[in-house]
Amino acid sequence: MEEEKVEVVIVGAGLAGLSAAYVLAQEGVDTVVVERGDYPGAKNVTGGRIYMYPVARYFPELWEDAPLERHVTRETLTMMAENCSTSITLDSDRFREEPYHSYTILRSKFDRWFGDKVMEAGAFVLPKSRADDVIMEDGRVAGIRMGDEDEIPADVVIAADGVLSLMAEKAGLRQAQQPKHFAVSVKEVIELPSKTIEDRFSLGPNEGTAQLFFGDLTKGMMGGGFLYTNINSISLGLVVGIESLMERDPKIEVHELIEDFKARPEIRNLIAGGEIVEYSAHVIPEGGVNAMPRLYSDGILVVGEAAGFGLNMLLTVRGMEFAVGSGVMAAETIMKARESKDYSAASLSYYEELVKESFIFKDLHSFRNVLSMLENPRLFNFYPQAVCDIFEKLMWIDENPKAKISSTVIREGISKFLNWSTIRDVAGMLRI
Amino acid sequence: MDIVVCMKQMPDLQQIRIKDRKPILENVPLVWGDLDKNAIEEAALIKEKVGEAKITVVAKGSDKLQQGILEPLAMGADEAVLLTDPAFEGSDSMGTAKVLAKAIEKIGAYDLVILGEGSTDNYSGLVGSALAELLNLPEITYVRELNVENGKVTAVRNMEESFEVVEANLPVVITVAQEINEPRLPKFMAIRKAGAKPRHEWGPADIGLSADEVGENAASVDMLSNLAPEQDRKNIILEGDLDEKIDALVDALIKEGVLGR
Repeated sequence: MEEEKVEVVIVGAGLAGLSAAYVLAQEGVDTVVVERGDYPGAKNVTGGRIYMYPVARYFPELWEDAPLERHVTRETLTMMAENCSTSITLDSDRFREEPYHSYTILRSKFDRWFGDKVMEAGAFVLPKSRADDVIMEDGRVAGIRMGDEDEIPADVVIAADGVLSLMAEKAGLRQAQQPKHFAVSVKEVIELPSKTIEDRFSLGPNEGTAQLFFGDLTKGMMGGGFLYTNINSISLGLVVGIESLMERDPKIEVHELIEDFKARPEIRNLIAGGEIVEYSAHVIPEGGVNAMPRLYSDGILVVGEAAGFGLNMLLTVRGMEFAVGSGVMAAETIMKARESKDYSAASLSYYEELVKESFIFKDLHSFRNVLSMLENPRLFNFYPQAVCDIFEKLMWIDENPKAKISSTVIREGISKFLNWSTIRDVAGMLRI
Repeated sequence: MDIVVCMKQMPDLQQIRIKDRKPILENVPLVWGDLDKNAIEEAALIKEKVGEAKITVVAKGSDKLQQGILEPLAMGADEAVLLTDPAFEGSDSMGTAKVLAKAIEKIGAYDLVILGEGSTDNYSGLVGSALAELLNLPEITYVRELNVENGKVTAVRNMEESFEVVEANLPVVITVAQEINEPRLPKFMAIRKAGAKPRHEWGPADIGLSADEVGENAASVDMLSNLAPEQDRKNIILEGDLDEKIDALVDALIKEGVLGR
């Protein structure tokens, strides 16, 4: 090689970074991916489940033999009150039709495999290496620094370094962050034999379940829980808003929340006898479109969670599809800029155009009001309890004569739900 | 001067999980032995000092070596010989020494052969000595300081209670201790350039051995069992306020013989 420089250096070997690298490598672009962990995925804390329809259009050949877990055939939403819970389950044949709608995924496994594919395609993945700073040259980003001694000069840098993106910050693309735009997530991976999982969750072979929880598990704080069945493990965790955690009185630690959650009868029987093989915690973005940094500048593009591309849509939680999509769009932008060797902000602004026209920005925009709704504490204490109470009254039989179902529902419904706060909440809901 | 460094890749011990007392090696990333890195570092330091030297790494392992070998090449090795043939798998220490000796004989030129004093996984500490015997060379073990001058080496050996200074004529086999140096972290550009350095893959036939003279078939030691020690947790939960808990903890530790001996 004539000069000590690469064309593209990507910081972070997650889905966004690897997707960009995969496309660039296939086009013969000299690309290096720098990863802090021992291998791609080593530091990942995704829930997780990946929706296939948004990503299948990108590198379809790759998904065919990707090490995904179970295809999700059952979706459950559970509202947890203090001593009871109500669940709604959707079990549809449509989820059993190929191509499958979504898969559970273990990112430590998947990303490592994807990293190998990226290497095979011709990019270089450099693990155990932390990017600490960007190289600035004449006001433009010209590569990255690793520690005091090492650096990788490059034509263009892709910041794919996750939610607290140091690269975007060092390049001056991010303003000071607000705690309300972030949540903290803890996750355990609990190993169980595949047969046990299928029996406990009533699943066929390779079928999986995805369950979201909200209510008492976050003790009135903004957040929720999740459970995904993998081939021979269960990913179980919860997410809680950082601002809610800071404001809560008395204080509570997140690890106590997950211990209490696991001790709930709804959960403890599902995980009984399992072995915790992974325990992790991470910050996740909740700010949506309101907390997006600038997406590009001279010599740099920001992708995936580094760009704030994560979305809590209440019933679904997304991020991976945005990561893949934005990674590919960044790669396409670079391919275009490469024709004229122009990596200035003006040239790279094409990336923002692509993002704005895509499902990423449209979804983030459509669901921009979810956050304010999630800040409503009634969602986490009043509603789960009220719904439970009504169902419990309907189901309960004792020595007294039972009231008519219709009168129970009407009486309870009016007393609980016909007031100004709930009407305001419903009005808020309609904005989503 | 010609320097040969012998190295081995092994599962990253920090990432091995024990299940039913057995290690789960599946999907555990491979790393170089800690002392193997001291060995290549020492070779690189000698080369920097004497100027004219060629360092050849002989490495045994899986096909993952093609990737892993970039690290020692970036640290300063000039060339690599990779013993990746599956026939080599399951060697005992003597078998490994035999294969290394044949490979080094084939390389032909060697003034210094440097190894770690033991591997991080098995730590038998046998391979260096067996190799010296097979190559009919003198050997200096547990080396914590090494000086090469005028066709001679002067080495300081760590004897735990004392240091021993030894001199030998080249060629010689050296096994190094961890304190001899601090292995460098290769820079990215060096790793990138390492990809262009010559690499040779040799199977048993290339070094004049048949498949049943190597690996598991030729091992004279059978591993009968490899189990992690059993460890029961006490599961004691201390109750009370902080002072009471501390007192109870101290009492419990004294009772277990951990404190106050």
